[in-house]
Amino acid sequence: MIDQSFLEKVLDYMQKNGSSYSEARFHKLTGFSFTMLNGQLIGASYKDSTGVALRSLANGGLGFSSTSLITKNSILESASRALKAAKSQKDFKPRIGLSEEYLARISYRVSEKKPISDWSDEDLIKYFQDLYKGLDLDKRINITQVLLMFKYDIEEKLLVTSDGAFVESYIPRIEVFYSITAEYQGERANRWNQLGGSGGLELLEELKIADNLEDDSKSLSIYLREAEPSPSGKMDVVLGPEIVGLAMHEAAGHPSEADRVHGREAAQAGLSYRRRLEPGYKIGSEHVTVVDDPTIPGSHGFYLVDDEGVPARPRYLIRNGYLEEYLHNRETAYEMNTHSNASARAKEWWAEPIVRMANTYLVPGDYSLDELLEDVKHGVYIKKYMEWNIDDYRWRARYVGLEAYLVENGRITRPVKNPALEVNSVEFFSSIDAIGKDLAFYAGTCGKGEPGQGVPVWFGGPHIRMRGVRIL
Amino acid sequence: MNLEEFAKKLVENIKGHVPEYIVQLEAENSVMLKLANGKPSVTQSWNEIRVNLYLVKDGRMTVSSFRTSSPDEAIEKSIRILDKLTPSPLYAPLPESNGAPYQLVDENVKEMAISGDISQMISDLSLTELTNSAGAITVSYKSQLLVGSNGAWLKGESTSFQGYLRIFRGDDASGQWSWTSTRYEPGKAKKAIEKAVELAETCQSLPQVKLETRDYKILLSPMIVGNLLQYVTMAASGASLIFGMSFFRPDDLKQQVASEQLSVIDDPHYEDLPGYRLFDDEGVKTFRKHILNKGIFENILHNSKTARLLGGETTGNAGIIQPTPFNIIVEPGDLKEEELLEALGDGIYATNNWYTRFQNYVEGTFSTVTRDALLLVRGGKPVGCSKRARITGSLKDLIKNIVGLGEELWPIQWWEVSIPSLLPHIIVETKITAE
Repeated sequence: MIDQSFLEKVLDYMQKNGSSYSEARFHKLTGFSFTMLNGQLIGASYKDSTGVALRSLANGGLGFSSTSLITKNSILESASRALKAAKSQKDFKPRIGLSEEYLARISYRVSEKKPISDWSDEDLIKYFQDLYKGLDLDKRINITQVLLMFKYDIEEKLLVTSDGAFVESYIPRIEVFYSITAEYQGERANRWNQLGGSGGLELLEELKIADNLEDDSKSLSIYLREAEPSPSGKMDVVLGPEIVGLAMHEAAGHPSEADRVHGREAAQAGLSYRRRLEPGYKIGSEHVTVVDDPTIPGSHGFYLVDDEGVPARPRYLIRNGYLEEYLHNRETAYEMNTHSNASARAKEWWAEPIVRMANTYLVPGDYSLDELLEDVKHGVYIKKYMEWNIDDYRWRARYVGLEAYLVENGRITRPVKNPALEVNSVEFFSSIDAIGKDLAFYAGTCGKGEPGQGVPVWFGGPHIRMRGVRIL
Repeated sequence: MNLEEFAKKLVENIKGHVPEYIVQLEAENSVMLKLANGKPSVTQSWNEIRVNLYLVKDGRMTVSSFRTSSPDEAIEKSIRILDKLTPSPLYAPLPESNGAPYQLVDENVKEMAISGDISQMISDLSLTELTNSAGAITVSYKSQLLVGSNGAWLKGESTSFQGYLRIFRGDDASGQWSWTSTRYEPGKAKKAIEKAVELAETCQSLPQVKLETRDYKILLSPMIVGNLLQYVTMAASGASLIFGMSFFRPDDLKQQVASEQLSVIDDPHYEDLPGYRLFDDEGVKTFRKHILNKGIFENILHNSKTARLLGGETTGNAGIIQPTPFNIIVEPGDLKEEELLEALGDGIYATNNWYTRFQNYVEGTFSTVTRDALLLVRGGKPVGCSKRARITGSLKDLIKNIVGLGEELWPIQWWEVSIPSLLPHIIVETKITAE
């Protein structure tokens, strides 16, 4: 870690030279990763990304500067550049401000039940080589490639601001990404998946890595060997937790980001339907409550205090079918004359803190999967997906099933291929008439910002049933 | 920081322990003005050192990346673990370095990037007069030094000036365009901004129409062509074929995989595009090559590793693991800019897209979502502007179903097109899904 008193001196310098708000963040991300192809180690990799980020608010303009040269001169020079950048906007007559908040003075660290440091890095490689050898992948198809990447990151930060925040944090994370490619009678398909969370080596068990790989190989087998063309048209659809979680991220989380609503990301990640639909608008059925909560222990998007020093709490984006909170940092909260709900995150030292999700999920109900299915006369059950996207107003989305089934008279009858659910956000949330009790979370890397900042998140939900939606 | 001194120090620490290595140092100064609602949302500047390290001992390898000026501890770990690894199936001996140093620096860009003062650019581009705009403009000065056990001691220095603007008109109309260059060329930027304004205003002036879900003839703007070709050229990377992430197969090489009208080139020597470089990440000389030549899959992009595994020679496109194109150029067609809509006849002019995702990487099935002006064209004239729609289908099929290409090439690079590209409009036939 860097000397805190030096960062405070840098803030003094910025304040004395015309900054109305100054912020310094030492940010260090170190880690280890490796890649395996079909169980053979391709290579290993170490990461060290360390630097200091500085922000200045001056004359209504916002400047950001950062450096990986950790010397007093270089950091002071960056402070000066941040100030200069803020002041250089004067011809535009900017009016950027930051909301006043109760700010944290805290030091915290995520505990590791089994510390990552207990194992050597070669132990980790051996663990995965053994895991691969023990895999029971589906043998009815020809699995041509299993590409697997493992990484752990240790994220250490020290944030100080001119209005009194002091936040020191230590968050370790583990992540696995894999892609399986398979062939059957000349047809090929693939499936990728990402698993992750915050914590220590206990995650190697908790993430159920082998189970996921084996189950995904079976999904590919069903897709390649058995699936027949999907029916199309309006019908009932049961969605698995994996797609539900993704949809909460895409159709509830992103549009609730207040910076999108205000156009700050308009030329990159786009805008939001919540520019027109105010809090209180009924967007879904009464069963729908969507929460984003950074404080879930062990989650991929975990933090207790955001990167502007604001203490984190759960945010209700949709409650009982009604739009509720936006996700705010201090900049958007100032614009909308409200308070931040601690959504400011910066990926690394080279990144400004912007409005981000953490762990977004649909609050579970009380149905079992059988109960959800039993009332479907003719529809599809989409368990897993590959392709998805959504327009830049977060209005109309597409989710295409990988493992999916026809449902007839309340029973799963046969696998179907690539059912494409295309639906707008109001249709999506309004068509939900029953919600499962089996909440599950999935890891993702959420992209936003310029330069792009991919940050770790979870998204989750239970099974849901939708009535009368369009399958292409 | 003196890169040579830094490199010498790193190599001293490495070479006694590791027989094969590449040390790549990059120093970059850059400034980005980000605009929203016609005003700066933030001005960002960076001053950074990156260290990329490739170490090999008896076929066992580490490939590490450090964004720090003091990576000593991480380097020590990278060396230490080498003895504990197993040989990599990807390993190939580093080829002899034959790259050349380069210097392609525009002093105006360098000065802005180092000083952080972009007031002249704001004035030159009349940015304070642009209402209802959003975007980002970046100036960058980068120097790199690549040192390797294969004899490489290569320095490169370059600048870039690139940006994109999205212009809004009324409630629903918008247009977006980008530019990219190695030099400070306000003219290129202004032309891109004018194009974005023209598209937004054309959309605003037309009645809103609904599109149907069916096959259309579509005029793809260079913005969309850039996004889709990025996936095509990455599918041509040897690593994508090896890892099962490509819709090409090795035996597609030298076969007709696309329309005869489509020729796609990787040209690292093209001086106007910021991917300019004379050596790749293995210190091998770069050169201009066709990826697709009149629709024939002419070259898989290789580094030494993928070349060994798939059979062939390095094409000077390393990436230590993943070979990559540096500058993508599409050979122009014969449709003049003013003839494009006429050549389209009845169809759609799609001007921008985002969020391209694949259902199946190995079959190329995908969809992408249009954004900004989406014009319905009848009899060669725009008659309506639609809200967003999806282009769906197979990328393998899309590159076969080309009807025509524009004559003018546009320098494109933005959030959804990271590889600098010089591209025409392209008319294709494919499916649209709409609300």
